[in-house]
This record gives sequence, structure tokens and C-alpha cells, in this order.
Amino acid sequence: MQTPDDEQFEAYLKRFHPIAPESVPTLSVGHSSRRSPPLGIWLAAVAATLVIGAVILHIRNDRVAVSNTVTDAAPVERHAPSDPLTIRSANAWLAKAPSFKAAVDELAFRSQTSPLPQGKQSAVTVLSKEKIRL
Amino acid sequence: MPAENTPPSGGVFLSIRQESSPETDRSIDADCPNIENRPVGRTDRNADEIEALYRQHGAALLLFASAMSGDRARDQDAVHQVFLKAIENGSVSQAINKKAYLFACVRNAVLNDAKVQHRNMPLDVDSAWFSPPDRDYAGEQNLRRAIGELPDDQREVIVLHVWGELTFSEIADLLGVTSNTAASRYRYALAKLRGSMLAKENSCADSR
Repeated sequence: MQTPDDEQFEAYLKRFHPIAPESVPTLSVGHSSRRSPPLGIWLAAVAATLVIGAVILHIRNDRVAVSNTVTDAAPVERHAPSDPLTIRSANAWLAKAPSFKAAVDELAFRSQTSPLPQGKQSAVTVLSKEKIRL
Repeated sequence: MPAENTPPSGGVFLSIRQESSPETDRSIDADCPNIENRPVGRTDRNADEIEALYRQHGAALLLFASAMSGDRARDQDAVHQVFLKAIENGSVSQAINKKAYLFACVRNAVLNDAKVQHRNMPLDVDSAWFSPPDRDYAGEQNLRRAIGELPDDQREVIVLHVWGELTFSEIADLLGVTSNTAASRYRYALAKLRGSMLAKENSCADSR
């Protein structure tokens, strides 16, 4: 049977709170590191991977389309002017050509699209027939 | 530490580790009382529960260990080991009285220590055990010294009851004694503690 003095002294003792121990390493660090990520995090990671893959694929498709567009556009642009070549048309042709060499080659070996007037022959045709003695 | 031959008053656990000779082979795995032999294993819920118990009772458990051995660093290790094992095997979740179960585990862990088994010297009370109220550092030192001067069995009971807040029935189960024995030891301890602390305060007052 406790006396009032005992209860009073007990209350005095309880004013002294025991000092807490240091944190258990496993409880504070290892504990969380040992946990496997929850399902939600896994799903989010998979979704993010899919999204990134789709974006990369989309970018690649765009680049292919652009390159195809450029490629497709080049042949149109590479048709040499069929009108008699002037400085103005030559400059415009050079500006559109992919390279100087391509521009010159196209000009030199362009096909004859416009028919020659009647009674006229091209010099290349004539010379090719003649036997030239050197 | 004198062993009581009287049977325990009731069953908090299914089986209770009894004190044995120092030659008995003990391992840290066998510190906690055996409960139903059902391995639970580690789960996140179990770890959360253990963490909560650590926050709630860790200070009192460390005080109890210190009151038994007096080596603060070793006592802290013993408490940590008990909780780490509790996380691994999940045995605490099966205990009827988790707090009393943890005190039993800590007691066994401290008793396992060879240094305690062979200790024949007074308790080392150099390290602080309490946060002094109103910065009463002298009071804290006085209390620590007075607790250290108590006999081992009385010291255990007073720490378990005052700061561990265990009932005499729970203390009896833990120590393997009757409730009356536990209560009797507590009364003697309280009286001795009060007398020792008052004597010290009076001697300090007289010396001024």
C-alpha cells in the first residue's frame, strides 16, 4: 500500500525522463532501403519509359519525313532551266541547286526537252557523225 | 543476481527465460522469450510497428539496461540488437504484452553479457541517464547515484515500475517472482532511494 509520501516521491522521480537511445541504423536508413518500391512506382516507371520511347520514335519519324521532303524536293529543283540560259537564270539555278557541281553537271548534260526547230540539228549530233582526222 | 525459486504468478508469455548459470550458452537469438514458435518474418508493417515501439519505449528500455549493467554503450547495443531481431523475426507482433516482452528481451540480452555475469563491482553511473527537469543536473546525478547504490533486484523493480510503467504483475512475470515479491522489493527500493537522495541533499545543504 503506497503512502501519500510514496506517491509524491514517485511523481518526483517521474519528472526525470530517461534519455532516448540513438536511432537504430536499420530503422532509419536500412529499413527504407530494404523496402522494394511499391507497385505504383513501378507502373509509373514503365509508363515514363513508354512515353520517352514514343517521343524518341516521333522525333525520328519527323526527321525522316523532313529528309524525305528535302530529297523529294531536290529532283524538282534539279531540273535545269529549259529556256535559253541567261545570267539571271543561271544564278537562280545555282541558288536552288544542292551543290555547284550538281548544278554544272545538270546544265551540261540536261536533256533536250524542247524540240529543235525544223531543219536544225544539234552540233553534238553532227559532230558525232563526222569522222575527224587528227 | 539472486534467483527466486517461487513460481511466476501468471503468464504474460507462453514461456519465460529463467536465470541460469553463467556457463549456460546463450546467444542473442535466444534472448527473446519463445512465442508459439511461429516464424513471422520481416514485413513492412512489422517494421513500422517495431519503429513505433522503439520511439515509445526505447528510452525506458535503455534506462533498464543501464540500471542492470551501467555500461551505456553496451546497453545501447543490446537494445538495438533486440529491436533488430524483432524486425527480422516479427515475434513482437505475436506478444500479448509487447512492452513487457521487450523488457524481457532486453533483460536477457544484458544478462547474456559476460561482463554483467562476472560483475562484482558497483554500478558505473558516470554517464547521464535522465534529462534533468529545470536543468537540475545535481538532482539527476543524485538520482543516478542513488539508483546505482540499490541492490540489483530492487533496482530492476523500481526502474521497471516507475519509468517502464509495468504493473507488479507484469514485473513478476518478467523476473520470475510473485507479484507480492515485486511489490515488496519496490517499497524497499523507494524508501531506500528517498532516504539516499534526501541524505545527499541535506549533506549538500549543510556544506554550504
